[in-house]
Amino acid sequence: MNKTLLLARTMLKMQYSMAGKSSSEKFGIILVIIMVIPFGGMFFWFVDSLIGSMYEQLSATNNQNIILGLLFISMTFLLLFVSLASILSSFYFSEDIEGFMTYPFHPYQLMAGKAAAPFLSLYLTSGVLMVPILLFYGIHSEAGVLYYLAAFLIFIVFPIIPFTVMAVILMFFMRYANIAKNKDRTKLFAGLLTFVFVIGINIVLRLNQDTGQTAADITALIQEQDGFLKLITALIPTAYFSTKSLTDPFSLTGSSFLLIMYGLTFIAAVIFFSTGQKLYFKGVQGLTAGNKNRFNKAKITAAIKPQPLFISLIKKELKIIFRTPTFFMQCVAQSLFGPVFLIVILIFENSSGALGSIGTLLEQFEGKTSILILFIFSLLILGANPASYSSISRDGKSWSFNLHMPMRSTTVVYSKVVTAWLINLLSLILLAAVGIFMAKLPLVLLVIWIVLSLMASWFTSLVGTIFDLHSPKLNWTDEQEIFKARIIGLIALLLELGTFGIMVFLLWHLDTVNGIWAAALVLGGFLALVIGLCHFILHKTIHRHFQRS
Amino acid sequence: MITINNVTKKFPGNTAVSNLDLTIPDGKIFGFLGPNGAGKSTTIKMITGILPIDEGEITINGFNIASHPMEAKKIFGYVPDRPDVFLRLKGIEYLNFIGDVYDIPKDIRQEKIEYLTKSFGIYGSLSDHIQTYSHGMRQKIVISGVLLHDPDVWILDEPLSGLDPKSSYTLKEMMREHADKGNTVFFSTHVLEVVEQLCDEVAIINYGKLEFRGNMKELKEQFEAEQTLEKLFLELTSHE
Repeated sequence: MNKTLLLARTMLKMQYSMAGKSSSEKFGIILVIIMVIPFGGMFFWFVDSLIGSMYEQLSATNNQNIILGLLFISMTFLLLFVSLASILSSFYFSEDIEGFMTYPFHPYQLMAGKAAAPFLSLYLTSGVLMVPILLFYGIHSEAGVLYYLAAFLIFIVFPIIPFTVMAVILMFFMRYANIAKNKDRTKLFAGLLTFVFVIGINIVLRLNQDTGQTAADITALIQEQDGFLKLITALIPTAYFSTKSLTDPFSLTGSSFLLIMYGLTFIAAVIFFSTGQKLYFKGVQGLTAGNKNRFNKAKITAAIKPQPLFISLIKKELKIIFRTPTFFMQCVAQSLFGPVFLIVILIFENSSGALGSIGTLLEQFEGKTSILILFIFSLLILGANPASYSSISRDGKSWSFNLHMPMRSTTVVYSKVVTAWLINLLSLILLAAVGIFMAKLPLVLLVIWIVLSLMASWFTSLVGTIFDLHSPKLNWTDEQEIFKARIIGLIALLLELGTFGIMVFLLWHLDTVNGIWAAALVLGGFLALVIGLCHFILHKTIHRHFQRS
Repeated sequence: MITINNVTKKFPGNTAVSNLDLTIPDGKIFGFLGPNGAGKSTTIKMITGILPIDEGEITINGFNIASHPMEAKKIFGYVPDRPDVFLRLKGIEYLNFIGDVYDIPKDIRQEKIEYLTKSFGIYGSLSDHIQTYSHGMRQKIVISGVLLHDPDVWILDEPLSGLDPKSSYTLKEMMREHADKGNTVFFSTHVLEVVEQLCDEVAIINYGKLEFRGNMKELKEQFEAEQTLEKLFLELTSHE
């Protein structure tokens, strides 16, 4: 047990240590904490009013526990998704495991150590959403101390089962991925397959819910005790058990369901460790070993072809991103997940005819309003742009190569900005496809939206690269460190959303700007202005950085 | 020729290189020696433009690395102490990329890639990712990349570490040939046998200061004549 704790502590320290962080990054963390306070206040106010009005509506038919049911169902999906990303990165893509494997540790001990970082993300995620909702539900239902105690106990165990389910699935995938010839490619494939799996579950659930429930059926269910709850939690028993244990924590039923949850969690833990003991090492042994290609002289000769340095640099960046599992998952897969998820949901919703009406719905708005809505939407999808805030850090110790080679610093840095922009372009193409083929947006609106999104994407690529160039993380031993425990991604996103949030808010309320063209012109002008400003800052940063390093 | 003129480099709480004056002449193989942490790599990083110079100046064939970096960088080829660059690229992609950096015409590129990689025995592995290479193979692909554009000045940081005897011999032959043509070869090493066998001149640095500069004969004359290089080295670098 001591060794397991030691492992967990060491692994956490390596990922979240403040050592080596520049003072500007530390300042950034403080800044984010300060910024979180007003956002937190607004969030709490929003949750309070949401829960309050839902409670009022649902308690009329004595179905108020649906709020808890919905909370636990959505949390299960969210936790499955967060687990997927963090288990893959911590258990399989992080190659420091090879360093630990030479020590006399059991696979389960290493797994427990490796699980520390994913669990931190899981509790953080559920803390942000579950705590306020459970709290306000308690306040609105005028619950006693026992409710809060039960809520706390549920909060502790709830993330464990989704985590275990995802971990066991991944262990099976990776066990077989690891015997494949091209390990990097198979690791990527296994990761993507699991993304598809998560989306698949969602579809199955949706189809299951849409099996022609008539209004009469629903009414009957609402009248039946817990009928509606049973319907929505049909496929996720833990959501049902958790809801039941909190609905009436004083009763024998309530405490029995709480006990059931603890029993299930215990079983999940046993399954997790025993599966891990059997499969984990098989999934990671030879993780860094690669395959040899068959030598083909013609291919070698064909590969030798001169091209402009700028193009060569961009191709190099793209190859490295697409071939490194961590970079691929963080920069490409995660940013595509949003648009792909949206498309899948929309396709299945489309059967009810809801989607085709988006175009018509937007047409009903004034032109200005529709473009503002679409613009904020694409900024949310494109804003995070991890390829931009990892631009410089991705090079790691190879960064010095850029310094001793006869390449202009601006050429090197701009090749990275273009790379980040190109990766965002993939998401944008998918969104545009939704706009054209599924939502059937009017042509003018579509063209303006795409042009503005392309500009916004260039802006986010610049902002991320400036931040990363300002305080790059080059001394990483594992690619994960670039993305974890670094605050610059969040700062960049907040800055982008803050800048454009204010702009859109002003435009929305400004009566002098009317019509789609005027709004587009003002937005485009503002974008051009901030892009110009970013170019100026980037040049200054390049000059300063290449002077001092 | 490399001229290091009164160069100082400070890190917080530590002066890594202090008032270093050194000229590395053409036509000679110049060995740069010193114990771990003596300031060898810091000096090399300043010569190659990786680290900025705090005081003094460095010129390579007359071009100041700080004020004319592009001109200076086109003249030299640098083999770093760690050959782990761009591991996810294939060997051939890496060399082609270097070809693009130095604008090497296609026919020369093809000819030189084939010649160099065959000399080092890695031609058959060019379509593999560098990540799958052993340490020695990575060293060889980096050296091949450096020699691809035929630089006048070679700067090599521990170039022989990890190389098998045959490749080590090939590289030493290449270094000798390059210096004999009137070019500059500057390399750091810990292997004293190599220094004895290969170097025309040596400089020994310790605590960031130059302890000795001269040829092997002068080195032995300055100390007792029949000592081995190992004893000389230990004697020179042992004092505080």
